[in-house]
Amino acid sequence: MTQVPSLTTLDSLKAGQSATVIHLAPHAQQGGVDVQRRLMELGFVPGERIRVLKRVLGGPLAVKVGESTFALRRFEAALVSIKPE
Amino acid sequence: MGVMEPQASSQATARTPLIALLGNPNCGKTALFNRLTGSRQKVANYAGVTIERKEGSFTSPAGQRFRVLDLPGAYSLNAQTPDEGITRDVVAGLRAGEAPLDAVLCVVNATNLRLNLRLVLELRRLGLPMMLALNMVDVAKKRGIEIDTAKLSQELGMPVVETIAIQSGGEQALLAELDRMSFDAPVKAKPLSAIDEVPLEETQREVRRILAAAVSTTKDTGNLTEKIDNVVLHPVAGPVILAALMFVIFQAVFSWGDLPIELIEGGMTAFGEAVGNLLGEGMLHSLIVDGIIAGVGSVLVFLPQILILFFFILLLEDVGYLPRAAFLLDRIMGSVGLSGRAFLPLLSSFACAIPGVMAARTIQNPRDRLVTIMIAPLMTCSARLPVYALLIAAFIPDRAVGFFNLQGLVLFVLYFAGIVSAMAVAWFMKRRSEYKQQALMLELPAYHWPQPGALASGLLERAKIFLMRVGTLILTMMILLWVLSSFPGAPADATHPPIYYSVAGMIGRALEVILAPIGFNWQIAIALVPGMAAREVAVGALGTVYALSGGDEVGDALAPMIAQSWSLATGLALLAWYVYAPHCLPTLATVARETGSRKYAWIMAGYMFALAYVAAFIVYRVTLAITGA
Repeated sequence: MTQVPSLTTLDSLKAGQSATVIHLAPHAQQGGVDVQRRLMELGFVPGERIRVLKRVLGGPLAVKVGESTFALRRFEAALVSIKPE
Repeated sequence: MGVMEPQASSQATARTPLIALLGNPNCGKTALFNRLTGSRQKVANYAGVTIERKEGSFTSPAGQRFRVLDLPGAYSLNAQTPDEGITRDVVAGLRAGEAPLDAVLCVVNATNLRLNLRLVLELRRLGLPMMLALNMVDVAKKRGIEIDTAKLSQELGMPVVETIAIQSGGEQALLAELDRMSFDAPVKAKPLSAIDEVPLEETQREVRRILAAAVSTTKDTGNLTEKIDNVVLHPVAGPVILAALMFVIFQAVFSWGDLPIELIEGGMTAFGEAVGNLLGEGMLHSLIVDGIIAGVGSVLVFLPQILILFFFILLLEDVGYLPRAAFLLDRIMGSVGLSGRAFLPLLSSFACAIPGVMAARTIQNPRDRLVTIMIAPLMTCSARLPVYALLIAAFIPDRAVGFFNLQGLVLFVLYFAGIVSAMAVAWFMKRRSEYKQQALMLELPAYHWPQPGALASGLLERAKIFLMRVGTLILTMMILLWVLSSFPGAPADATHPPIYYSVAGMIGRALEVILAPIGFNWQIAIALVPGMAAREVAVGALGTVYALSGGDEVGDALAPMIAQSWSLATGLALLAWYVYAPHCLPTLATVARETGSRKYAWIMAGYMFALAYVAAFIVYRVTLAITGA
């Protein structure tokens, strides 16, 4: 590992790009859904491979994780730190 | 109801064990529930909330009777939504009024064990008797996913059976396994804190380990769902397909519905006449024929359109398209502070706001749900059409404007005004409240072929809900409005139609003071009072005010009459009024029930009347200024 891994967040991936989940940040917002925990329950756990299938311009992303596909808003995707492939 | 449940009688054999179906959304759980119970189902709400509680019963081959509960779909027992909260509480035995469970039947989608097994492992920590139903094994096999059920059963420490919920007999293995289990008494679940004793990452590693041991993928058949999504979710093709689908649905709702609507209208008229002949003239005749049969009939005619709309909604839902539509529309909806999930309730509201408001249950965030409910009645429901049709025929000339017909263009403007206003109200509510962006996290499940049986039973359920409402709430209101419009009767030297002297007439004449500035005369004011029952009732009420005989000809005779006696400004102002005014008590009653508070029904009535008044005032004054009257 001579290279510094180029870490970024899921919301910056283009359609068709794959990546590995590194870390999930907690959501600053109080109350409501615990986004960080729910994302992990949906399969976004560190080490998992994910792929962006489609994205709507300025809108949500369709992300494949395991055998499932989830639509995430950009702020949700921004919580997921990834290492692009 | 009414059936006496044997309250744990003397012997154990007389006990009817209660089992619950638990699983992720999109695992085919409800299909399996329907397969097990057939028509032996009771659908109600959980006490105090608007979440559906589905219970059914079935008898195993060995003759043992079971009660079965279809729990709301959940991704985790760490509940994030009200639905999941119910599921968690019932499973953990914490929900008041729910009997403890004898066993939990975990339903998993065999093509997506990686997601589904996590919930199974969570539940296992509660120590309840469990069984795993590997659902959709047929699809899994087709995709080359080989599952070693014996190995999986050994790893999980519970019986594992294969099921195909959509196939006749697909539940046989499950029934046989149930007969091998013994149900002596319900087991008390361990406290929920047991679930968090193992960290999430640990659970996920365990899932991967079990999958590695029991599942092998022999061939990669490619993914059809992804191929379809390449087109359906395409940045350009996706919205075009969505728009085309919406167009087809609207066409169907407004053209296929004509024949059954005519049949219902004809049937109700004939029925009213037959009953009327039996009763002879008099008060009872008026109540039953004019009040009840005509009133209920005027609401019943919307059944065909509602069923056609729900046919498409259920079809698109079954196939897996609806979440995709929500995905495509999330950005537009999000810009005014709504969730993409609001698409379905708002679409339903074009037929009728009542199913629209009820469909808002699928929106998990309470604030998003409330905003969606509040704007749903601004969508142009089919009850507005008779009013629009009357006023357009009377005041808008039937001539071409470029490629379009002027009357059609006005109708389009009215629809458009409703949509734009709804967006504006949502945006205003977003601005006013401390708005926080809500999570979407919406699963886009694999596509599959629609199930005609499930579609039919879904439609039947919709029809039942609607007819129940017509039979209870709407019937009561029709009787009330008939009383208001009939008493006190006209004096002997009456110069006006009888309704003028009734309580409704008095209210209407009092309202005229307020309504005069927006150009409404006393005839309109009176018609608006019974028109609170449902929008289209105003047409019939106007007929009564203008002392016309009832029947289908009212509209035809009424149009020239009001065209003569009203100014253009009054006609257009009434059109604008009807875009906004909440002339629908059933909707307001539904809102009160769905939000659990009358407050929101009052707020809705208040803001919609305010918008209606302002819009009618502007239209009236502007038209007056232009026409120079």
